[in-house]
Amino acid sequence: MEAPGTTDPKLRLKGVAKAFTAPRTLKRTLAVTGVDLAVEAGEFICIVGPSGCGKSTVMNMIAGLDMPSSGTIEINGVPVAGPGADRGVMFQDYALFPWLTVEENIGFGLRNGTPGNGLSRGEVEARVREHVELVQLAGSETKYPHQLSGGMRQRVALARLLANGPDVLLMDEPLGALDAQTRLILQTELLRIWGETAPQAARKTAVFITHDIEEAVFLADRVVVMSRHPGRVRAVIPVDLARPRDEHIRATPRFGQLSEEIWGLIRAEAYEAIA
Amino acid sequence: MSDGLAGALAPRPEPRWATPARGAALPLLLLAAWQAWATTQPDITRAPSPVQVAATFVRLTASGDLPVSLLQSLGRVLGGFAAALVLGIVLGIAMGTSRTVRAAVEPIVESFRPVAPMAVLPIAILWFGTGTPAALSIVGYAAFFPLLLNTVHGVSQVDRTLLQAARTMGVPRLRILRKVVLPASLPSILLGARLALGVAWTAIIAAELAVGAKSGGGGSGGIGAMMFVFYAYSIDLNGIVACMIVIGLVALAIDRLFRGLERRLTPWRH
Ligand SMILES: Nc1ncnc2c1ncn2[C@@H]1O[C@H](COP(=O)(O)OP(=O)(O)O)[C@@H](O)[C@H]1O
Ligand SMILES: [Mg+2]
Repeated sequence: MEAPGTTDPKLRLKGVAKAFTAPRTLKRTLAVTGVDLAVEAGEFICIVGPSGCGKSTVMNMIAGLDMPSSGTIEINGVPVAGPGADRGVMFQDYALFPWLTVEENIGFGLRNGTPGNGLSRGEVEARVREHVELVQLAGSETKYPHQLSGGMRQRVALARLLANGPDVLLMDEPLGALDAQTRLILQTELLRIWGETAPQAARKTAVFITHDIEEAVFLADRVVVMSRHPGRVRAVIPVDLARPRDEHIRATPRFGQLSEEIWGLIRAEAYEAIA
Repeated sequence: MSDGLAGALAPRPEPRWATPARGAALPLLLLAAWQAWATTQPDITRAPSPVQVAATFVRLTASGDLPVSLLQSLGRVLGGFAAALVLGIVLGIAMGTSRTVRAAVEPIVESFRPVAPMAVLPIAILWFGTGTPAALSIVGYAAFFPLLLNTVHGVSQVDRTLLQAARTMGVPRLRILRKVVLPASLPSILLGARLALGVAWTAIIAAELAVGAKSGGGGSGGIGAMMFVFYAYSIDLNGIVACMIVIGLVALAIDRLFRGLERRLTPWRH
């Protein structure tokens, strides 16, 4: 229990559980249970765990796309009642609109949703332009998603997420589909965009799901390790690596130790999952 | 370059006309055979020949009979199609987005679907007479099903994460319908529309033929009615074959035009 007078964390999950009912058999399965987590503003949290442990389920509930079966999720102390543009989501498969160009995809929220409220047409255009450039897609504005490489699609999704200016960034294995080299480059880029070089107050709050332990250690302030059957929070590991981080940090003993510690927590289950 | 093995293996260049000429050879041969057969027959109205068909076509075009009939039939197709388009898309979106609507409407749709447009004709004639309203209702009925079914299919196939993405950007429901559901199902809807135009064109000819029979050849008009006149009154198969060819070419043209429209309306798919 927090002491009275302390300010609320940016995001808080209290005893969150989610059960799914199979449509035909009506069998209830507990996807996640007893999830407690407090995320401070400007924190970068990574969630790791074997596949099927409920990472996406947790993220969908934070996004407001799904409601917990029990427990509560609060943003700034206010319970989440549904989706809202204060929490931006980057989906695992990017969820780009195939019929819109790069530029139109990036501007979709600004032109059709709440992020564009109060902005003039010119301001919207400027913001779209700025985000096209931020992810280095200038020159590809009029291309359709199917004409882009995996790395470029990922940048479009990231630009769309950021253009909407959310307080909280929710990312579900956003780099999962990329090759190893592109992945490493985009991890560094993501930290820069998140605001690694800025003071914590100027950073976004980020919840990043991955199944890649080293990716989690490289990115996170804290790594939430989940386990399966049912999905629970197994441990929360603080990552005491200095920021800004660059490629060299991967070669440090501390990086190896942290990765090893996390791997130790999920090794048994990861083997189970493929058995 | 041109000598030795490389020269021997390189494909020999062909003149530009070679491929079309080869494609046209068989049809021309068949036409010649048909003409030869027809000239051995005593009655040129019973044994249509390419030359007579062409002559009839020119005569009907010059007199304006064929263009007028054709336009009349096309107008009916477009009218019935437009009605089916609106109804099919609206009901299709309702059925595709609401389980309740779908559960209520699907059994009715499925029980009418096997009933061929021609089987509805007697009712149409008795209710609407032998003129344009009857033709429109048949065409609309025929075009409605492909439009409805493809719209429902398209709407229910919309990628769920696209809808979720729009919701996380605070896009209001109706706007999601217009900006996500509609474009996502557009390829299916256009496919339905193309199939619908095809069956509408088939249905209008059959309906006009049948209405022509009922009205004794007068009044109703259209290219189907024109065929009926050739069949029942002037008894000239050359006219009927000319009409058949025109009908086939129009169907082909509609299909090609619509495929072009599809490419233009869904540029992200090409
Ligand atoms: N919509 C749903 N209906 C039924 N079961 C679901 C649904 N979504 C997820 N689950 C189940 O919940 C568990 C956790 O899934 P998920 O959150 O996708 O895991 P992860 O993202 O960690 O791989 C899995 O067992 C999965 O089958
Ligand atoms: Mg997942």
